[in-house]
Amino acid sequence: MKDVPVAAGLTIAVPKGALFADAANRLRAVGIEVPDDNGRRLTVVTTDGTTLLYLRPSDIPAYVEFGSADCGIVGKDVLWETDRAVAELADLRFGFCRLVVAGRRVDRYHEGAPLPTFLRVATKFIHTAESFFADRDMPVELIRLHGSVELAPLAGLADLIVDLVATGATLREHDLVVVEEIAESTARFVVNPVRFRAKYRALTALLDRLAEVPA
Amino acid sequence: MRLPAGVRDWLPHELARKREIEQQMRAVFGRWAYEEVQTPMFERFDVLERGLGQETTALLFQFNDRSSTALALRPEMTTPIARLVSTRMRESPLPVRLAYVAPVFRYYEQPQEGRMRELTQAGTELIGASGVDADAEALFMAIEALAEIGLADARFDINDARIVDGVLEGMGLRGDDARRAKELIRERNLVALQRLGLPALTQFTLQRGGREMIAPVRALCRTPSSLEALDAVDALLQRAEALGYGGRVAVDFALLRDLEYYTGFGFEGYVEEIGFALCGGGRYDSLLPKFGYDVPAVGWTAGVERLLIALERRGKHVQRRRHRIDVLVSGSDVLAARERAAGHVVRSARAGASEEDLLADARAHGIPRIVIAVDGTVRELRVGPRVDELPIPRTPSNWDAR
Repeated sequence: MKDVPVAAGLTIAVPKGALFADAANRLRAVGIEVPDDNGRRLTVVTTDGTTLLYLRPSDIPAYVEFGSADCGIVGKDVLWETDRAVAELADLRFGFCRLVVAGRRVDRYHEGAPLPTFLRVATKFIHTAESFFADRDMPVELIRLHGSVELAPLAGLADLIVDLVATGATLREHDLVVVEEIAESTARFVVNPVRFRAKYRALTALLDRLAEVPA
Repeated sequence: MRLPAGVRDWLPHELARKREIEQQMRAVFGRWAYEEVQTPMFERFDVLERGLGQETTALLFQFNDRSSTALALRPEMTTPIARLVSTRMRESPLPVRLAYVAPVFRYYEQPQEGRMRELTQAGTELIGASGVDADAEALFMAIEALAEIGLADARFDINDARIVDGVLEGMGLRGDDARRAKELIRERNLVALQRLGLPALTQFTLQRGGREMIAPVRALCRTPSSLEALDAVDALLQRAEALGYGGRVAVDFALLRDLEYYTGFGFEGYVEEIGFALCGGGRYDSLLPKFGYDVPAVGWTAGVERLLIALERRGKHVQRRRHRIDVLVSGSDVLAARERAAGHVVRSARAGASEEDLLADARAHGIPRIVIAVDGTVRELRVGPRVDELPIPRTPSNWDAR
């Protein structure tokens, strides 16, 4: 089955950072050459005619929605936050993490605890947090942070945080506890909805191969 | 001096290109015997809301007039035309064939290329006709229109929403479950569909291709209307093939346009290098009845700006074409009027301008001829094609007095 390059002619968005190693291995497992991320590389064209775009995960939905990439691998958490029109064709079952609401243990927050009626919430996931609290009809002031969100409750910037948790180690380190789980996230294979039609054969073939590989 | 988000200016050379495309579209509409109509830019909110689905209503620019009547800018042309036909064209023999090229307005949260808040739509409505012939008319006109502007390789995916309904019913999904599943199929969200535990439905959502796709899907259809729809799609594919569009028209069973609006046949046209649809349409038999006129209808529309993006992406844009000017006239209203009456494009120059200035002006605008009237004497100068590389002519022999 390896006689025809599996993704010839496709442009694939590959996430840099935490998901890179797993994403690269999954693509290699279906026969796509994926050079290591040297940190600065932006675009790579592999030998069998596949173009790989190494992108910040949060930029991937925009690239795929516009069709600048035909498809890509991106965490579900990023899809919630960016709300772009891309078709989610497969759960690749790696990059597992949970998006949670967390607070300081000393504030007596715990899973299921009643929350105060007005909260300051620090997060990188503004849209997701906004719709989560809106669904519960809870007025909150959202503070957009770009890193080290777990510091916000300790320093008194916010009552709660909305953040991704993989193992829970970071939370424990800072004596934070999960108040509520918003959702679970894994890596997804996404495609541009119109490109799905235009490159139907190549994209469905790639989908089949990606889904075949055990996680 | 900034513009609001989602709108843009059109400079002369940009607008010239846009107008050219609009004229080409109009020419195709005319060849199919469609007549152009115009409706107001804004209408009463309740009238638009009556016709639009929730999805489009949510995009309305709304405002009140001074007597507090709720108004909205039209977000598309089909509802205004449905109102127009229902209220003013009841006596017209059916079917009615109408076309439009018109600006519409949509409040997108994140305006971007291909999703501007002011856009131009060019499309047609065939009102009072049902069946495959009418659907084929909409589809084939769209194919011809895109070919006319230079996208002869555009591809078209077709479907009929009744097929999905029949498949869902066959799988025992009803009511809200069926609606939710349909939404997931439309988004092609296979991850969420898989959680429904219906592998055949997930598989169905990936089905796309030529006439060979009809038989396997027929096995999934359980309702008479879905089987009828499948036959109609098959017939369309066959007719497209006979017209030579075989490789360019496919059925995509997950192609579902605005669900509240379209009742059956639907299609979208696209080119490989653009990640959004260039045109689309379908059958909306329940729209005119909402305006009290019980007739079926099918229509389609193209986003003119999107067509421009597609052509630009291919380098088929604007060779910065200059407006053609035939003659530069200085010092005489009468001569300028006479030139215009003769059908020439006349640029007026300041009376008493020096010959050097006039020549420079003519060269800058590619004008081949200059007419100069000074104190009752008229002289005409012919400007050579590469005159900018020649010394400025000064000898009387260059002047061609009238």
